[in-house]
Amino acid sequence: MSGWFDPLFRVSDNLLELVGVGGVFSRTVRIGVTGLSRAGKTAFLTSVAANLLARGNPRFALAPLGATDVPRFDHPRHLAALAADPPRWPERTDAVSILALTATIERAPFPDRRIRLEFLDYPGEWLLDLPLLSQDFTGWSRGVLERVAKSGPRAEPFLAFLRGLPARAAGDEALAAAGHRLYRELLQALRGQGLSYLQPGRFLMPAPGSPPPWMGFFPYTGEGGLAGLLANRYAAYVEAVRRDLASPLFAHVDRLVVLADILSALHDGPAAFADAYAALAASAGALRWQFSLSEALQSLLRLEMPPRAIERVAFAATKSDHVAERQRGNLTALMRDLARAPAGGARVAHFAIASVRCTEDFVWTLEGRPVSAVRGRVLGERRLTRSYPGEVPDHAPDPSFWEHKFLALPAFEPMALPDGGRLGVPNIGLDALLEFLLEDVL
Amino acid sequence: MSELRTKNVPVAPRIEAEDLPAPRLEPVPLPADPRPRTRVGMPTLAASGLAVLVFGLAGLETGNFIADEFARSAILGWAALGVAATGFGLVGLGFWREFKALMALRGVDRLRANLHSTDPVRRARAARAWVRRLPEAETLLPAIDAINDPDAILALLQSGPGAALRAKSEALGRTAALQAVAGIAAMPSPGLAGVFIGWRGLRLVRQIAALHGLRPGLLGTASLVRRTVTAAASVAGVEMAANTAAHAVLSGPIAQHLAGEMAGAGVAARRMLVLARAAAAACSPLSEP
Ligand SMILES: Nc1nc2c(ncn2[C@@H]2O[C@H](COP(=O)(O)OP(=O)(O)OP(=O)(O)O)[C@@H](O)[C@H]2O)c(=O)[nH]1
Ligand SMILES: [Mg+2]
Repeated sequence: MSGWFDPLFRVSDNLLELVGVGGVFSRTVRIGVTGLSRAGKTAFLTSVAANLLARGNPRFALAPLGATDVPRFDHPRHLAALAADPPRWPERTDAVSILALTATIERAPFPDRRIRLEFLDYPGEWLLDLPLLSQDFTGWSRGVLERVAKSGPRAEPFLAFLRGLPARAAGDEALAAAGHRLYRELLQALRGQGLSYLQPGRFLMPAPGSPPPWMGFFPYTGEGGLAGLLANRYAAYVEAVRRDLASPLFAHVDRLVVLADILSALHDGPAAFADAYAALAASAGALRWQFSLSEALQSLLRLEMPPRAIERVAFAATKSDHVAERQRGNLTALMRDLARAPAGGARVAHFAIASVRCTEDFVWTLEGRPVSAVRGRVLGERRLTRSYPGEVPDHAPDPSFWEHKFLALPAFEPMALPDGGRLGVPNIGLDALLEFLLEDVL
Repeated sequence: MSELRTKNVPVAPRIEAEDLPAPRLEPVPLPADPRPRTRVGMPTLAASGLAVLVFGLAGLETGNFIADEFARSAILGWAALGVAATGFGLVGLGFWREFKALMALRGVDRLRANLHSTDPVRRARAARAWVRRLPEAETLLPAIDAINDPDAILALLQSGPGAALRAKSEALGRTAALQAVAGIAAMPSPGLAGVFIGWRGLRLVRQIAALHGLRPGLLGTASLVRRTVTAAASVAGVEMAANTAAHAVLSGPIAQHLAGEMAGAGVAARRMLVLARAAAAACSPLSEP
């Protein structure tokens, strides 16, 4: 019934928002959180939700989600797990969920102003699917195969299979399945080596449920029936990325938080470090950094909001509670040296954060010298563990850095959460990050 | 020089467990929020001083008297002591009750402020504290713990126990209204009818207070009536509510002047209903502060 009215309403809503009338009383801020798998996205969102909801002014509440099909980010469950005794960290994320909050700002004689904040949680592996949105099958295959060729003997079975294919292979299901299996095994092996620039992400972390047929492809630069079949499947895959990641959030983010587990990367060695860096850069490059007039006009013709460009970017090194205060300074400096926003007008800041603080700083006398270290309880143990994993460089690590050891991070358990997390979650630097991200809207 | 050299040789990184078990780390506690201290006003000070004088001097006097009686004979002394102890005990008990009732009223104010505070933690805590006293506590407490959203908690309380209390208060108001009509019809003189309405109004206020778990004494009732008058001003959709409530309750003793106005039974009945609503708002921590 209301069917043919809808476009009319959409036009008027969009026009209102365009001229800023809607923005006086309400506004939606979409905050993209990018981070590779295990970077700490779920912990970050849980802590953000708990700390914002515990704030008095402005007051935050969970926002209604209406009839969208993206499930709500289950922060109460994650929070309960962190607060439990013994505590548990969130499991690996295997699906997309959305965290939506509204801040109500009281301005006495005027109506309250509402700001809606939206964050997206998703499996970190999927982040690397964002660059696929602007690539066609052949272009993507070429890039992937170039990287694969450099990755050593592990890639041999898959590369041998590719070399064995005739120039114009037929679009045969068995061939596609065999290639897909080999490529997937290769991705898993590379992940085992600590690499993270691995595409497509769903091959490593499939969505729940049985895999749809379009998952069965692999990078291929040949021609003929097989190439056509694979390209079609690739197109369907890209469509799924658009549906699950881009349209709920990433296509119109206006703030960005880039989370990077730099400390673990320092342990993983130069190859993994460089790879993680390339992966983060590629995913950030896939976002919209500049306002484009032609795109804006096109979307207006489709009766949609013109896409906004990213206004602020916070680069944050996560899990910084693994090192002491002085080293956290180095970590921020290192982040500043590594991360630069792609061209555009975005404001940039760098942080060293711990979403869920696990340790306390203390001075450890080692070899007769005082060293600033941290200590905390490791999951499943009753004793405190002291940790000084190594010196954090304050600039991009050079070859001499990699000659020293940097120890793997112990699995610390979160500090006790006062009142089950209702009072917020103990953290490092989260307030400063949120302040930077939202100071102009709140 | 030697310091420089040692600085250049990095300390080897290491991770070691300590020897003794330790409890889970606690975050550094946040500073407690400073509560505004309420200052004692002049009238209170003067009244307290007067009370100390009256009771202190009376006590001393009685003490002297008892000592004299003991000097005369032990039996007389014991009897005087017994009489004095019982008398002062009863007076003390009365004061204690009054004091507790006043504190309970204060408690409602505090609870109301907390339930409507912008600090979600304080809100949730206040909600739990209040619900614990209700008969529905057993089903409501787990629900509150599960909700974890302060706005939803208030909504739940308002639609659950809040609505029940409101309904019961209205029922009390209706009964009082009926009795007021019947009373006016039965009273031989308008003056007596005025007294009756005043008494019935006062009783209604106390009934509703009891419904909310308050047992006001004399001072408590006076304070409650004052609150009811202020609350009546904010009870939605009632014109002239403050006036009405004040008249219905306070004009009893001087009903002569208001006799003409009081004559209409319909007016009296409506006043009881308004009064019930206002008293419920004054007694319930869920109403807007
Ligand atoms: N010490 C410390 N460890 C953290 C912190 N945040 C995350 N971690 C650790 O990092 C692990 C991964 O965190 P998650 O939040 O699950 O990472 P994710 O980015 O959601 O990972 P995926 O869901 O696989 O993409 C956790 O299990 C913790 O062990 C932190 O603030 N401090
Ligand atoms: Mg996750």
